[in-house]
Amino acid sequence: MDELEKLKLELKNLNIEYAKIKTVAPEKRGEFGRELNAKKNEILAKIAAEEERLLDTEAPAIDVTAPMGVNEKMPEVYPVFQGSKHPLMTELDRVTGIYQAMGFDVVESRQLDDEFHMFDSLNFAKEHPARDGYDTFRTEEGLIPPAHTSTMQHRVLKAYRDKLKNGGEIAVVVPGRVFRNEDVDATHEHTFYQCEGVYVSKNCTMGDMLGILREFFEKYYEQKLNIRTQPGYFPFTEPSLEFLIEKPKTLGGKKGDFLEMLGCGMIHPNVLKMAGIDPNEYHGFAWGGGIDRLVMLKYGLSDVRNFESGNLNFLKEF
Amino acid sequence: MKISLNWLKKYVDIKVSDEELVRLIGARLVEVEGVIDETHKYDKIYVVRVESAEKIPETHLTLCQINVGADELVQVVCGAPNVREGMLAAWIAPGAVVPASVKEDAPFVIGKRKMLGRYESNGMLAGADELDFGDDHSGIVEIDPEEARPGDLLADVFDLNDSILEIENKSLTHRPDCFGLIGFAREVFGILGNEGEFSEEELSRDLLEPKMRREFLHVEKDIKIKISDPKICARYVGLVLAKHGEIKKKYLTFTDTVLAKAGMRPVSPIVDATNYLMLLTGQPLHAFDYDKFVQVGGTETAEVNVRLAREGEKLELLDEKEIELAPFDIVICSGDTPVALAGAMGGKSTEVDENTKNIILESATFSLYNLRKTQMRHGIFSEAITRFTKGQPGYQALAVALKCAELLKDGFKFATIADEYPDEVVPSVIKISTEQINGLLGTDYSEELISKTIKSVNFEVSVRGGEFEVKAPLWRTDIHIPEDVIEEVGRLLGYDNILPTLPLHATSSRNKMWDLKTRAREIMASFGANEVLTYNFVSEKLLMKAGLSAENSYKIINSISPELQYVRQSIVPSLLDKAFVNQKIPYDQFALFEINKVYQKAWGLDAEEVPVEKMQMGFVVAERKSVGTAYYKAQKFATEFLRKLGISAEYVSVMRDYDGNMISANRGKKADYDSIMIPNAVIMPFEPKRTAEIFANGVKIGVVGEFKNSVRRNFKLAEYLAGFELDFDAVLGLVAMKKVGKFGAREKLDETVETAGTYAETLKKMQEKYPNAEITPVSIYQAEGSETKNMTFHVEN
Repeated sequence: MDELEKLKLELKNLNIEYAKIKTVAPEKRGEFGRELNAKKNEILAKIAAEEERLLDTEAPAIDVTAPMGVNEKMPEVYPVFQGSKHPLMTELDRVTGIYQAMGFDVVESRQLDDEFHMFDSLNFAKEHPARDGYDTFRTEEGLIPPAHTSTMQHRVLKAYRDKLKNGGEIAVVVPGRVFRNEDVDATHEHTFYQCEGVYVSKNCTMGDMLGILREFFEKYYEQKLNIRTQPGYFPFTEPSLEFLIEKPKTLGGKKGDFLEMLGCGMIHPNVLKMAGIDPNEYHGFAWGGGIDRLVMLKYGLSDVRNFESGNLNFLKEF
Repeated sequence: MKISLNWLKKYVDIKVSDEELVRLIGARLVEVEGVIDETHKYDKIYVVRVESAEKIPETHLTLCQINVGADELVQVVCGAPNVREGMLAAWIAPGAVVPASVKEDAPFVIGKRKMLGRYESNGMLAGADELDFGDDHSGIVEIDPEEARPGDLLADVFDLNDSILEIENKSLTHRPDCFGLIGFAREVFGILGNEGEFSEEELSRDLLEPKMRREFLHVEKDIKIKISDPKICARYVGLVLAKHGEIKKKYLTFTDTVLAKAGMRPVSPIVDATNYLMLLTGQPLHAFDYDKFVQVGGTETAEVNVRLAREGEKLELLDEKEIELAPFDIVICSGDTPVALAGAMGGKSTEVDENTKNIILESATFSLYNLRKTQMRHGIFSEAITRFTKGQPGYQALAVALKCAELLKDGFKFATIADEYPDEVVPSVIKISTEQINGLLGTDYSEELISKTIKSVNFEVSVRGGEFEVKAPLWRTDIHIPEDVIEEVGRLLGYDNILPTLPLHATSSRNKMWDLKTRAREIMASFGANEVLTYNFVSEKLLMKAGLSAENSYKIINSISPELQYVRQSIVPSLLDKAFVNQKIPYDQFALFEINKVYQKAWGLDAEEVPVEKMQMGFVVAERKSVGTAYYKAQKFATEFLRKLGISAEYVSVMRDYDGNMISANRGKKADYDSIMIPNAVIMPFEPKRTAEIFANGVKIGVVGEFKNSVRRNFKLAEYLAGFELDFDAVLGLVAMKKVGKFGAREKLDETVETAGTYAETLKKMQEKYPNAEITPVSIYQAEGSETKNMTFHVEN
């Protein structure tokens, strides 16, 4: 008798057991029934597992070292017109390409990080309410799928600080995937992409930061742009601001129609200090902004949910 | 947070247009998320006098003749019980919109109509609810005859033609002072560059720190305050008020309209006064019933104790929920009995009600760190706790309490006051130079301009030869370091006035992994594959469908849904999920790929003590109507992909035991699955008998194969299905070792070998026979019933 037949017999016998319930004292019938049900579920699960195993066993073996099946034609890849690259990745490549031409190295962000890099190293006081603003996910171990690419700032500063001693500057952008505990709708995703920038030197200024950001956006949208700022608050920059551009006419913008593109500011002295850089000798600036919105604006997309839908109707448009 | 521009204008002289003011606030203080235009909300609503009011028999209605400021009286039928001759009321004229309905899709326009078939009624006499000042529907509002006359526009009397700013709270996390109108007004003064210093004189009328001391008060009811730890409560003012009359809420007041504009509702005279002052100053207040307080504590006079809650303590809150207190909750106790959850909500046992004779007014400040935890644990998100969690400083606690007493003076008189202030606010003093400021901003602001700018927001400044000594006002708890002062200068003068410049371009070095990914996408798209992006978070169900154990996944404890509870271990399962979506559309044939990071608990932590991460490319090819062995299709994509990167791949069966020995491919018993050497969970969805590990230069770089029947069934996919997953860290290592191609004339020939062995074994023999030749397969033929196969190779020597 094979395993499956054995299990099926067990099930049959169990079903007979049910009839005995009449002989059990009424107050104990509940318990009796529960025990039988538990056993039954256990057997049913075993049967399902065994059936699954047998189903898998059915698959015949093939010579996996060969490039084609016996008596089959040599397979081909698909024709090029059928293929597509994801628009977010294509644009993220363009973004880093522009920054690379401006002298920035590229360091990709992690997708699972810890409290230290996400908050502590960025001058967030322990238990400070500012941490709540990031709507972070957490794992059982207290790890954090980062809510911003700034989670890499401390690492970047440490990895590149020797460049400063040699009279150079730190110039790095950090593209990456970030996560926020948010309900998803046409304009909100819990998973999206950001690009961070970090610049440190002996005498850079906020004017330099505004200049770099303007240059980037003008190159990205391939036209002159009006820029604007508004004060913001981030514990890891001081002063902190939001950077806005006037929506280009070619993308359907009207005069005075300003869009928030990213948050930025002069790196807080404590953040430099924690990474072993003397804030009295060096200062820097940093920024971070969403890529999804940039791409949606460029292509005139209205629903952010398409990006992670995996739907070929959408993807084949790119 | 909502800010009324009209209310703001009572405190600051604003000479610019509203539009410009909103722009300047946005550019120099905080993001304005929106402006609610209420400039026409109260159009055609007038103050009127009821000249006669006659009950209509057998109805609840009253027939009124009202004086609307014109020569002739107007007739209106009113259903409110409190309508009476001689009162001033608010009249919504025919053709006007009911203010409470302004935001609705179809705003309600009042007209002229016949009631009971014969009484003409023009417009309506309005209640607080219709005017959008509250939920009170018990009667019509009454207006103070000292404030208005018949025919006045209601909007003029109460300053209702207003614009309301919606402020983005997050950007003010560090500015508790701006959560009161006065603080906001100080900033606006600075932003506008108004001459001189923001004068507190205007405010002083509202908010005087009175000289009153305990000895001047008529002490009837005593109060003692004890704070267990200054860290949890820097200041606690308890002011006892004794009832001496009724506060009759008779007339519609300015306070009512202020609360309404801030999105709050009138509750009772005491609560309204505390809410009004909170909106004005940012300092929340709370009122206890004095006599209940004493009774609960079992003390003779009120003994207020501020301490941390103890394990197991419980408290019934005002909303009648009983909560279990946590050791970080700050509680207000009467004697030793908790009666309020500090900063969050009062307790039921000391609630003020209509029979309250004496009250304790609390004006205090608590640790924002504790309150944040309290807020999260008990889910309390009131206007008060929103302010407390910004860290309200204690400097104005006494003044606000006394101001509240003044607002309540019609019904209550001072009894006594106690003020514990163990952790007094000390103003920050910072030294900074003109050079430092301009050096960081990239500006050339003069000493005079800098000095004038920070003085305008009440900093004390002394200058000596380009060196400033700056003393922050007491409410600026956010000023600690020179950069904070630089922010003040840059912000108030406008960051937009800083000239953008470009530092010299450095030269960058390439990120090889990034470049590999870019190339990989190009290659795969050129092979007709489609790049997708899927979530890092997957469900336990998806893992199980793919034959993976959730125990190897990092688990999200606050996931949005069970669908997003686990961090994925590999890419392929997500692609199988998307293959289903696309096969259903239906697409008959497609290949999906994704390059992303994955994590497995089994991989442990890296040197930084964060989980080891791997960059992997997953690939799935799915066809609906095809026959044949899908394995070779996926293998072809892998081979060609790697070839483009200059890597030549070898495929090795996974049917090996722990020692690396081959297992007979035909047995396929359970034991074989268990003994298969599993590199990691990546391989779990694959059918071992139809799966190979991919090797190059002796390095394992991935796995390619068909999926287990059960996996294919679980994902509801058509039979022709295969995929691969590549370890990009390993691939990157090989890209660098590209071998050089062979040049020159070549000898070409085709050769067929009859064999019972595997392709790999046969190829090996061919390679031994033709060393250094390029050998490519042509066909594999097996006649029906034959034990051997004929393998044909093309050889270029």
